[in-house]
Amino acid sequence: MKTAPIWFFVCALVLSACGSSSDSNSKIKIGCAAPLTGDQAQIGIDMCNGVELALLQANDFAQQAAVSGVAPLQFEISRQDDQHNPAQAVNVAKKFVSDPAVLAVVGHFNSSCTKPSSAVYNSAGLTQITPASTNPELSRQGFSTFFRTAATDEVQGPKGAIFAVKKLGIKKIFVIDDKTTYGKGLADEFEKKARELGAEILGHEGITQGDKDFTPLLTKIKPLEPELIYYGGIYPEGSLLLRQTRALDMKAGFMGGDGIATLTFSELATQAIAEGTYATMVGGDMHQVPAAASFIRDYESKYGTLGQWSAYGYDSANVFVETIRKAATKDRAAVLKTIREIPKFQGITGDIVFDEKGDNQNQFIGIFQFQSGKLHYVGPAD
Amino acid sequence: MSILDIFLQQLINGLTIGMIYALIALGYTMVYGIAQLINFAHGEVFMVGAYLGLLFYTIFNQTALASWIIAPTFLATMIATALLGYLIERCAYRPLRNAPRLAPLIAAIGISFLLQNAVMLIAGPTDKSFPSILTIQKYTFSHVTVTNLQILITVVSIGLMTGLHFFVKHTKIGKAMRALADDRQAASLMGIDVNFVIAVAFIIGSALAGAGGLMFGAYYNTINFHDGYLAGMKAFTAAVLGGIGNIPGAMIGGVLLGVLEGLAAGYISSQWKNVFAFLILILILLFRPTGLFGARVVKKV
Repeated sequence: MKTAPIWFFVCALVLSACGSSSDSNSKIKIGCAAPLTGDQAQIGIDMCNGVELALLQANDFAQQAAVSGVAPLQFEISRQDDQHNPAQAVNVAKKFVSDPAVLAVVGHFNSSCTKPSSAVYNSAGLTQITPASTNPELSRQGFSTFFRTAATDEVQGPKGAIFAVKKLGIKKIFVIDDKTTYGKGLADEFEKKARELGAEILGHEGITQGDKDFTPLLTKIKPLEPELIYYGGIYPEGSLLLRQTRALDMKAGFMGGDGIATLTFSELATQAIAEGTYATMVGGDMHQVPAAASFIRDYESKYGTLGQWSAYGYDSANVFVETIRKAATKDRAAVLKTIREIPKFQGITGDIVFDEKGDNQNQFIGIFQFQSGKLHYVGPAD
Repeated sequence: MSILDIFLQQLINGLTIGMIYALIALGYTMVYGIAQLINFAHGEVFMVGAYLGLLFYTIFNQTALASWIIAPTFLATMIATALLGYLIERCAYRPLRNAPRLAPLIAAIGISFLLQNAVMLIAGPTDKSFPSILTIQKYTFSHVTVTNLQILITVVSIGLMTGLHFFVKHTKIGKAMRALADDRQAASLMGIDVNFVIAVAFIIGSALAGAGGLMFGAYYNTINFHDGYLAGMKAFTAAVLGGIGNIPGAMIGGVLLGVLEGLAAGYISSQWKNVFAFLILILILLFRPTGLFGARVVKKV
């Protein structure tokens, strides 16, 4: 009698496994891996919503085309949460690899997650496009399955420095990063260029993700009187850092990378405090791109306000849709072969041209500024 | 700013967060002293306190209470977390009272996951912005800045701790708690209702954690469902530092940990802030496992 519940459980497992395998025959799955829970969830959800929209539109298109005789390919998103945790990212990657219906992956968001997972995808021959991971090392690992649409920190960091030193005329800067692959990489590149342009770097310190109290560090910085604090990291810590800077009566300006270029930053920091903060972003203002107008309309009617990463997820997913349509087989090797054969993808964020390392040759950095609770596009960084 | 000013500023920053650590640490220490149980779900109760504080603040802000909002928000949050603490004790720990010592510890971890994920599902996974519960005023004495919020946190914490001290020393239930901590079996033979006294320890500990959570949210202005983990670990460290089971020890341990951590982050390196806190835990466990002021119970750890 005591074993009965266990058997019931085993049977249920077997049944559910059968159910899912018979279901996945017809559709092509595109994985979307990003932080979907936790403090960075907003970014991940924005990105995966963009991916989903691209796939839904591809399905609508396929249905119309089916009438005229073209073989209809049906796409489906498989969202997986990597919790911005590298260990969890590897689990997610293994999950995608073990599901034969997954032909390609859009992700991950954080460089620290993309790095270990890219090795898993590479060993399985599963093509990956990260719309957001900007650490330069990622494309230097020699993985043929790795692609990215985002500009790297080697471009973003220095362009931020050019803007701060040349356009804003700032001379004394304190650099802070969150010790992650992304944050530290970006801050290091910024520091190098700013120094080269003649700005004085008062110091460079790290903080820990998930920490709340940065006043000890800021109290130390305060007497140095920096004109600008540059932060390499993501918005949850970034917004607190800025709030605590102002609570200590420090007047220094605040600047960061794409990790703080989201409206959640100004919500958490409050509108008044976020006012005037600069952020570099891989790309310009989507609202000013005519090609993106219909995308923005479709996105906002389905998911609400457009996220800062939605368009990049959308473009990456569309690269796969185009590739898989051209390859016309449900085969991972064919996807990888075909993506390299297409010379140029037309995206709403601009043309996507992959070089041999998988990096996008179109590396544009825009400057945004928080103005009355909105991200205002200032212009190109240089 | 002179070197002395910076030092004083770091000291004040450390004291404020130390007060909050002390409030949480009291819950760990009381429950351990009385039930010999390390309640690892306690950090989560603190986190729920922060969310409930935000909820009550938002509700009261729309009523006639708006001008006196701080007191009712504190009261409602503390009552609600006290209730939560009682429920946890009643549902998760009381059925395991005579089970092996590992069982309630695992139950504690289970409750901790349950609370974290429940808050994530109800309130959403992203950070919530916590409004300023009072208009921040800064008082500056030769470059050293103190805010009225820091003063409020200190005053409320000291008030609650003093109240607890008198409760434990001078009331009948307090006496029963001390008796139980000394010898549970003998205490129950003397007619003390063991379940009732343990429940009271949970209720008081959780109410204090709730107040701590509310002040934590108000001080740092953002809250997240996994905030309880780190704060809980720090408070546990503080409890061990002061001697687990020792109530005044937990108060001093909390304040000391906040100050030491703040000074280490300010003077050595902010990258190593959490490392210092846990280094203290390791050092104490290695060289003085009974804590600075001596644990009440040293057997069967």
